[in-house]
Amino acid sequence: MSALPALLDLLGDHTVRTVLLGASVVGFVAGALGSFAYLRRQSMMGDVVSHAALLGIAAAFIAASLVTGSGHHTLALLLGASLAGVLSILFATAVVKHSRITMDGAMAVSLALFFGGGLTLMRVIQTGPFAQRTGLNVYIFGRAAAITRADLQLIALFALVALAFMLLNWKVFKLYSFDSVLSELVGFRGRTVEPLLQATIVLAVVIGLKVVGLILMIAFVVAPASAARQWTRSLEGMVLLSGLFGASAAVVGTLISVVAGDVPTGPVIVLVLTAIVAVSLLAAPRRGLVARALRRRRQRLDLMRLAPQVPR
Amino acid sequence: MSFVVGVVALALVTALACAVPGVFLLLRKDAMMTEAVSHAVLPGIVIGLLFVGALDSPFLILAAALTGLLVVLGTEYLRSTGLVEGDAPLGLLFPALFSIGIILVSQRFANVHLDEHVVLVGDLNLAAFIHLEVGDVSLGPRYLYVMLAVLLLNVAFVTRFFKELQVTTFDPDFAQLSGFSVRRLHYAFMFLVSITITAAFYAAGSILTVALMIVPAATAHLVTKRLPPMLALTAAIAVVGALAGFGAAYALDAATSGAMAFVFGLGFVVVLVATRMSAAVRASRALTV
Repeated sequence: MSALPALLDLLGDHTVRTVLLGASVVGFVAGALGSFAYLRRQSMMGDVVSHAALLGIAAAFIAASLVTGSGHHTLALLLGASLAGVLSILFATAVVKHSRITMDGAMAVSLALFFGGGLTLMRVIQTGPFAQRTGLNVYIFGRAAAITRADLQLIALFALVALAFMLLNWKVFKLYSFDSVLSELVGFRGRTVEPLLQATIVLAVVIGLKVVGLILMIAFVVAPASAARQWTRSLEGMVLLSGLFGASAAVVGTLISVVAGDVPTGPVIVLVLTAIVAVSLLAAPRRGLVARALRRRRQRLDLMRLAPQVPR
Repeated sequence: MSFVVGVVALALVTALACAVPGVFLLLRKDAMMTEAVSHAVLPGIVIGLLFVGALDSPFLILAAALTGLLVVLGTEYLRSTGLVEGDAPLGLLFPALFSIGIILVSQRFANVHLDEHVVLVGDLNLAAFIHLEVGDVSLGPRYLYVMLAVLLLNVAFVTRFFKELQVTTFDPDFAQLSGFSVRRLHYAFMFLVSITITAAFYAAGSILTVALMIVPAATAHLVTKRLPPMLALTAAIAVVGALAGFGAAYALDAATSGAMAFVFGLGFVVVLVATRMSAAVRASRALTV
């Protein structure tokens, strides 16, 4: 059997199609919005958010169980995750504002507080009187194959909201990302814009948890943006390219993992993303490491030619 | 030594061993490096397990610490190229290394028994399970002595290089100008951090390691700016936090490392609020006088 019919055969599979669609939407949205985190120079906030989401998921599970008898309402879980994610950012920024702790330390404290709380609540769920308490671990390590049609609809809904938000606030987000002082002067208050922008990024992060897991979600935020930055100098280009990098890594990674069989999808996607970053750093025109080395060599040779009397 | 006492002792020693280097990481604004290193050591641990077969072997800890150092060196190289801005270099390498680790684990390579759960939250009780026995007398968990060795190593390093660490932390440019090898000390220190994280990994998992390293130092930093009192306060907070966290976990039958991380975080919040309030009181008094 040659490669093409085998591939088409795979695409005919319903589960594979669902996973591919879900993963690529997540990859696109996280990649696109990751560009803003990158420009805000706070990419690692994505890591804090994805970990903090566990607290929201666990809390939402408990609340939903108490109200409806079952905790497995994906929409409730995702809303809880988003809320906890936003709170973890607000906490870290408040710490920086009200103490001498710098952002990196504040992020680490926020991570410990929210993720520690999340793990504690997970334990409460495990030992408590909750029906259908299994299945929440999916959000920690991610299991792309477990994505259902209902998950897919929610992923699409959150993705659309996040993208619509980004497009509607495009000018504000752009100005704020590049020059927050000017943005303030023009009348966009940082106190309003910052949480809006962060909340949009949070939406993109929480839908990825089931696909790659909360530990590896940071790769979807950082890697596509870092790669895209090497090829373009405009925000429009960066956001689009970053989204495309994220989506294509998700597709390629999922296919590799399906073909290889017993290999977890999330880590494979991350390795594909890393490869894209490596190629971009090396091969990008002008900025790339190869172009840079060649330019240096040429300049050195030119210099030699101009000044032959200089001893080598 | 009874089992519970053994676990508490292990929690205490692990907290102290992490807290000491944490002070310098926080002051160097490199706190999130712990998050990167604590994930990056995973492939080193898995590959080490292939050859050594025991999680508490010093060789395994050294091998895995080298992977941790890889992420430090790689991140600093990426920063130096100037191609990747902000804190993005930090988030580029460790997910890849962690992914390699997870893939290796998932392949159940040569019977490597490493639960995904242990990776994340560690298992203090499991780490404290095998006791060191001389004759009939139990001397406590065997792993306690591994962590004790790491703690001593950290204390010895900080004591011996205190002045150097101080000057490179607060004024790296001055240190460099004084003809001081800032880089060599930095890499020695980061290797020590990596060793500490690897050793703590088994007992505490990757998340608690971040909490243990950074939160005590951050809490102490809320109160003082000076290095010697900050070190002492950090150690005290680590001890109190470890005891309180362990006690809370024990009472609530909660996951030890999660509850400990949470308690450390809560302690930070309490101290933050208290210092803010006392500052506000002082300010209003100053106004009325």
